[in-house]
Amino acid sequence: MKKKGLIILIAVIAVVVIIAGSLIGSYNDMVENREEVESSYSTIATYLQRRYDLIPNLVNTVKGYSDYEQSTLTAVTEARTALQNAGTTNEKVEASQRLDSALNVWVNAVTEAYPDLKANEQYKALTDELSGSENRIATARKDYNEEAQEYNSEIKKFPRSILASLFGFETYEYFEADGAANSAPIVDFD
Amino acid sequence: MKRILKLSAILLLIFSLCGCEQKEKYPEPTEQFFVNDFADVIDDTQEGDFVSKAATLEKATTSQVVIVTVGDLGGDEPFEYATELGRKWGVGNEESDNGIIILLSRDDREIFVAVGYGLEGALPDSKTGRIIDVYGLSYLKNDDFSTGLLKIGEAIINEVYIEYGLAPADGYVNIENVSPTVDSDGGEVVASWVIMLVVLIVISLLSRRRGGGIFFFGMPHIHHGGHSGGFRSGGGGFGGFRGGGGSFGGGGAGRGF
Repeated sequence: MKKKGLIILIAVIAVVVIIAGSLIGSYNDMVENREEVESSYSTIATYLQRRYDLIPNLVNTVKGYSDYEQSTLTAVTEARTALQNAGTTNEKVEASQRLDSALNVWVNAVTEAYPDLKANEQYKALTDELSGSENRIATARKDYNEEAQEYNSEIKKFPRSILASLFGFETYEYFEADGAANSAPIVDFD
Repeated sequence: MKRILKLSAILLLIFSLCGCEQKEKYPEPTEQFFVNDFADVIDDTQEGDFVSKAATLEKATTSQVVIVTVGDLGGDEPFEYATELGRKWGVGNEESDNGIIILLSRDDREIFVAVGYGLEGALPDSKTGRIIDVYGLSYLKNDDFSTGLLKIGEAIINEVYIEYGLAPADGYVNIENVSPTVDSDGGEVVASWVIMLVVLIVISLLSRRRGGGIFFFGMPHIHHGGHSGGFRSGGGGFGGFRGGGGSFGGGGAGRGF
């Protein structure tokens, strides 16, 4: 009788240990994956910063050519400021997409008005750098989306979903695919 | 009956697993690896010449410079295609991500030189763009894809040698000393070169600092190893062939011609 009780006790303890172990494992997995998402997100932030820093150079170069296209330039300045002030991920996504399209409009307007600008070596160098920034941002976005998707689907699956809601693991939102952003190699100004 | 059911279930499972490996958008590298002339535009002699130069470079530096020609990009942006290919093949080695892909699309008439993370300091986008302009564009515009690619490839190889502190090939000219192909007047040229030099320095400092940077977006700083995507793509490590697992982040420059 006593023996039987002991066996049951051991069995119960074993089950509890196994369950606790797998819960801890799941929890750690989720933490790790969340770190990966955060890390790929911070890569985007680095490249956004890089582009942000390049913009004044471009603007100055182009200013030597003209001081117009002022209205489209204003849109760029505003979008740039908005990006700097953006708080949430959502706002940053929107602001960066607005900056993309504003830059596009502005650069197109300027190069149309001053075709010989395209032959300026310095302008070319800057557009290459800006375009490289755009490309890196697009690549980083894609990487982030993949990480986020993996993580999101993981925390929605049972039984991790229980742990996730218990410990406040939230899903990450995706960056929308944006054709304009992908093809925009542009310069900046400030 | 039961057994048949079981068997078909197993077969179904196997088939669905194979289904994951559907037709790949990006080709596998050829055995030459350093030259993958899928569009068949490269002259055989020039191909052999470049393969041996790239192999010598790899031996000396571990860096891999790979030329790829395709018929079309299947709707991708040139940078996207080149970056994906570089990751998939694992061009460059895993520790230093020192790979380069020189991609030409025949029908899109686009060229893109994708630079692995580790060479972004030696080959900032503006310098890469200038190398294309100075060494390759005139050939490419005249449909001499073979010579254009080879010239660009040789110029890139030289830059990699210099990055590794080795001597470039005879006749090497620093791209920054090549006079601009396009004119402007004297004073402006000097001023713009000074500015450009400053920009280049700032940019190479910035890119070397990547991952250790300042975020003014209020992001928590999390160390980024610079390999996002590298492992996911599988790298070239186990893919056979000769990629070393290098990764790319979208750096480089391209031109339509």
